[in-house]
Amino acid sequence: MSVIEKQIDIKNILADRGLDGWGKDIWMKRLGEIKPSEVEWALSRKPGYYVLDRLLILLSPAAENYLEQMAQIAHQVTLRRFGRTVRLYAPLYLSNYCVNGCVYCGFNKSNPFPRIRLSIEQALAEADIIAKEGFRDLLLVSSEDKEFISVDYLCELATKLRPKFSSISVEIYQMATDEYAKLFAAGIEGVTLYQETYDRDTYRKYHLSGPKADYDYRLSAPDSYAKAGMREIGIGALLGLSDWRLETLSLAEHAQYLMKHYWQSRVSFSFPRLRPAKDVDQSQFNLLSDKNLVQMILALRLCFADAGMTISTREPAYLRDHLVTLGITRMSAGSKTNPGGYTNHTGSVGQFEIDDKRTPAQIAAMLKSQNLEPVWKDWDAGFLLPPVSH
Amino acid sequence: MNVLKVNGKEKTFAPDKMPATIVDLLKLLGIDSATVVAELDGQIIERANFAATALKDGQSIELVRFVGGG
Amino acid sequence: MDELIIAGRKFNSRLLIGTGKYSSSAVMAKAIEASGAEIVTVALRRVDITNQNDDMLTAIDRDKYLLLPNTSGARTADEAIRLSRLARAATGINWVKLEVTPDPYYLLPDPIETLKAAEILVKEGFVVLPYINADPILSKKLQDVGTATVMPLASPIGSNQGLKTRSAIEIIIEQANVPVVVDAGLGLPSHAAEAMEIGADAVLVNTAIATAADPVKMAESFKLAVQAGRMAFVSGAAAESQKASASSPLTGFLRNE
Repeated sequence: MSVIEKQIDIKNILADRGLDGWGKDIWMKRLGEIKPSEVEWALSRKPGYYVLDRLLILLSPAAENYLEQMAQIAHQVTLRRFGRTVRLYAPLYLSNYCVNGCVYCGFNKSNPFPRIRLSIEQALAEADIIAKEGFRDLLLVSSEDKEFISVDYLCELATKLRPKFSSISVEIYQMATDEYAKLFAAGIEGVTLYQETYDRDTYRKYHLSGPKADYDYRLSAPDSYAKAGMREIGIGALLGLSDWRLETLSLAEHAQYLMKHYWQSRVSFSFPRLRPAKDVDQSQFNLLSDKNLVQMILALRLCFADAGMTISTREPAYLRDHLVTLGITRMSAGSKTNPGGYTNHTGSVGQFEIDDKRTPAQIAAMLKSQNLEPVWKDWDAGFLLPPVSH
Repeated sequence: MNVLKVNGKEKTFAPDKMPATIVDLLKLLGIDSATVVAELDGQIIERANFAATALKDGQSIELVRFVGGG
Repeated sequence: MDELIIAGRKFNSRLLIGTGKYSSSAVMAKAIEASGAEIVTVALRRVDITNQNDDMLTAIDRDKYLLLPNTSGARTADEAIRLSRLARAATGINWVKLEVTPDPYYLLPDPIETLKAAEILVKEGFVVLPYINADPILSKKLQDVGTATVMPLASPIGSNQGLKTRSAIEIIIEQANVPVVVDAGLGLPSHAAEAMEIGADAVLVNTAIATAADPVKMAESFKLAVQAGRMAFVSGAAAESQKASASSPLTGFLRNE
């Protein structure tokens, strides 16, 4: 290994740029000093041109006056790269047992409520309902319940789900590369996992216990699942913990690092914005406005022309309807964030409150009304995997 | 008569006139050894070993040097 | 300091220069000096045993310049590997410009043989600088096997056509983890400046300098062009303005915020 290679590691990249917290004041000052002429320079660059400075400028308060222009460019870029389509997926929550103590989360282990986890059969029953709605793209979600929702459980479930779903991805607790590799072999092709916040101090404040309390370990997760061969690498920050502009800068550096080192996979951004959750005090957060969220999405789209961008049902309907013309390429619909929520027999606690409660059919109709085609099935991993006996 | 293939061309020598080592061959050809690489029967010979490398009848030697190039 | 770093080694000059096609070693030496280059490429050929020529290697001060042997003449990976080993034995340097060109007309590089040779040479401890067509996927694959740079061509060797492969080179630059050296086909200083403006880390020039009426002056001209292009890149030149096509407003819904 040459000297140069040792330095290229996301931990060092963030540390060098002060994006893991120590440079916070410097970055905030720079953001405040951006002038309109700099915004015009940033807008004149080719879509997809990413350097930290360009993104910084597009995220600045000064750029707020240029949102319409940014939106027009983002719209054109997304159209050219992704066509008039939006992918639809559904989340399937498998468990709300958790060993982590994350202050902001409804599933925090210290929150008192009856926990539930689904057996394979119960999960399949949920999946049946999801499939009947038309979905072929499924996201398996779980809190850190490794004992029950184990690697073997997930592999068995994925194998049984493959006949019904062409794309299965997971949003679950962090695992090792060889464990992700097992999931990949079983037909799971994507992993989404959020750093939550890239600011070390904030991270420490909100992640009090459990394996997730280790910032560096968490930061290494996308490397692990990318190395395992996952085709879709989903990353994101929980918007509202730290300053959203700084989070976006860190997120972008993380994305660029992943795109360069795992060039055969696609990086996607998600935008989980803090929402009301049971037993969680909202006053401690830096909540973003809709305008801020739009600016974040536009700035990232202008810098990353090919990244996937996903929006969930956390967000209200009217906002989602507009976001699909501003760079979003994938959205959930009719989501239930409580395990057993689709069969509706458990009355279990959800991770967060849904806002857009429309059915998948209604979402599909909304997309069509905007001249967008809802894509239920995109890539079919089934082509490359050994045949499954039904 | 001894035969040595040098840079693809056969050279014949009377047995007593045959160059004993690579250094001797280079001296015979008037080539400065400081800038030449030698490959004897497909094996690269380090310059330091030129004097110690004996030449035998039937061998093939490539003498290569640097020239201008892009 | 805006240094060029290849395989952990630092250079101030972003102009690499070739030594072929000059009228004499003396002119070549003066042109190299005028170019400010620190890396100089050379080729390996059989000694002409019937005619003792100037040995050009003596014209290049080995303490001042890093000699970069190329494997020109190789048409297969095996030939390129053999030439690389010979070059290393000759100079003690383990840097090699990997050039596998089976086509004698355009001298275009063979991507498959190049990748094959690169993988083996890297394992043998060589610092490999591969000459390739401007193929972004090939560039990623070469980086995966550990080459120190990628060297995509602007246009065929000696054609002096400039950056015909510009769009592909832009993608290579965007995706690269190693320095990108644009090599071959740069016929004018403005071509070299253009390559630097779009973000190339360095350029390699041979024919345009060696065959100019005044190679020494042309070498200096390229030196200045490379510096100018790099400066422009670093200072963030404005590109053509993006035209947003007129369509209904997309962010009007935020007006109430």
